Amino acid sequence: MANPYEISKLTIRIAEIMIDELKLEDVTPETFDPEIDLIDEVGIDSMDLATVALVLRDEYGIVIDEDDYPKLNNIRRIAEYIREKMDDGKEEG
Amino acid sequence: MKAKAHHLKDAQKKTWRFSDLIGDPAVGARWEKVRRYFFLRESTYDMTNRCNIRCDGCYYFEGSKQFAHENKAPEDWRDLMKGEKARGITYVVLAGAEPSLVPDLCQVCFEEMPLGAIASNGLRPIPRSIDYKIHISVWGDDETSLSIRKAKDMLVRQIDNYQDDPRAVFVYTFTRENIDQIHGVMEVLARHGCKVTLNMFSSPVGYTGPLRHTPQSLAHARQTMLALISEYPENLLFSPYSAVAHTHIRGLHDLYSCSYPRMNSSTAIGLGRSFRQYRADLTWDRTAACCVPDTDCTDCRHYAAGSAVVTARLFRHASDPDTFRSWLDYVDTYLAVWVMGYEKGENLCDHMVAPPGHGLVDD
Ligand code: SF4
Repeated sequence: MANPYEISKLTIRIAEIMIDELKLEDVTPETFDPEIDLIDEVGIDSMDLATVALVLRDEYGIVIDEDDYPKLNNIRRIAEYIREKMDDGKEEG
Repeated sequence: MKAKAHHLKDAQKKTWRFSDLIGDPAVGARWEKVRRYFFLRESTYDMTNRCNIRCDGCYYFEGSKQFAHENKAPEDWRDLMKGEKARGITYVVLAGAEPSLVPDLCQVCFEEMPLGAIASNGLRPIPRSIDYKIHISVWGDDETSLSIRKAKDMLVRQIDNYQDDPRAVFVYTFTRENIDQIHGVMEVLARHGCKVTLNMFSSPVGYTGPLRHTPQSLAHARQTMLALISEYPENLLFSPYSAVAHTHIRGLHDLYSCSYPRMNSSTAIGLGRSFRQYRADLTWDRTAACCVPDTDCTDCRHYAAGSAVVTARLFRHASDPDTFRSWLDYVDTYLAVWVMGYEKGENLCDHMVAPPGHGLVDD
């Protein structure tokens, strides 16, 4: 079960990475709606997601499968995805 | 057995951080240079169903798109381009059968969409006011062109029309039969200061003729490409990794998973969502939508396909310095070929690197 505190920290950090990497304007990590559709409403494409995925790989040591990109269409989903992968990693370890 | 050996080697590799990969100043600068173009989202358009020559193995005259009724109304094209812009398309490729026969329609597209390329046989000059890249197809020396394309003195006429034109890129397509002819053709094009890139003949569905590649011709083309890169650094827009990706015994789909709608059913993101290939009657068909429809997917090594398919695999290539540099060289090459004003830098990786998960030749 995901820890809500961790998820909220994660969403802020993912928002920060998105803003930095994709040079998004008019939004801050705190005002970035974790439910907003990144593809339809923010206009993020697969190359953008791949870039963000590389930074997340560095930070959390998790690999985001390219086949999973379509599911990761908002920040909350990305945060949950990372949490699940991190939990899986712990179990395996 | 061989496949296992590769996976084992992959598993034993050090894991590189992305920040370390781009920490090298030359690599970091190139990354920043190419990523500014990640906004490009293409679709392609057949402008006519006519051509002033007829080539063996032509993609256009395979399949049903050649029978589409031509829409010649500039206002319909303008409306189409406006609609395309509204749905997020930022780059257009005007192709089949021969766009130079309808310059007025090309002009309308350019007015609405300032970024794009035209695929032409180069026999009719396209007005300079249409500031798209122009890809001029070359299929061998003039003797070969006469036999395959039934057109005399093609190269001379193409050079007359396009030398000193910053829009022009000559695209030499290697078939099984014309590999060695590139030397003479390249010498002439370089003497006239022309820019050149390389392409591989990719068979139309059902094509079994003499142009189709064999393992031997793929290997020969690869060695020839590598030699040309060193011989013509000023004129040739290409990289060692481009040679690997396009002459591998496995086609582009096998190596990278093609992301065009024809081979990718997902409409969630990327090309599967945005790409359309319009016929001359302005309709499109998702089941056929790719930049080279009616090409046999197992034999697809087409330069236009690779531009999108290899580029989309950023994540897989950010694994180690050589693989990432090779990918950057590939993207840098593709941007220089397709985008007006984009200058190719020196290749960052001077040797061949295997596609992720594969060997250099086969796994
Ligand atoms: S022909 Fe090439 S680009 Fe087109 S769908 Fe097949 S593999 Fe992809």
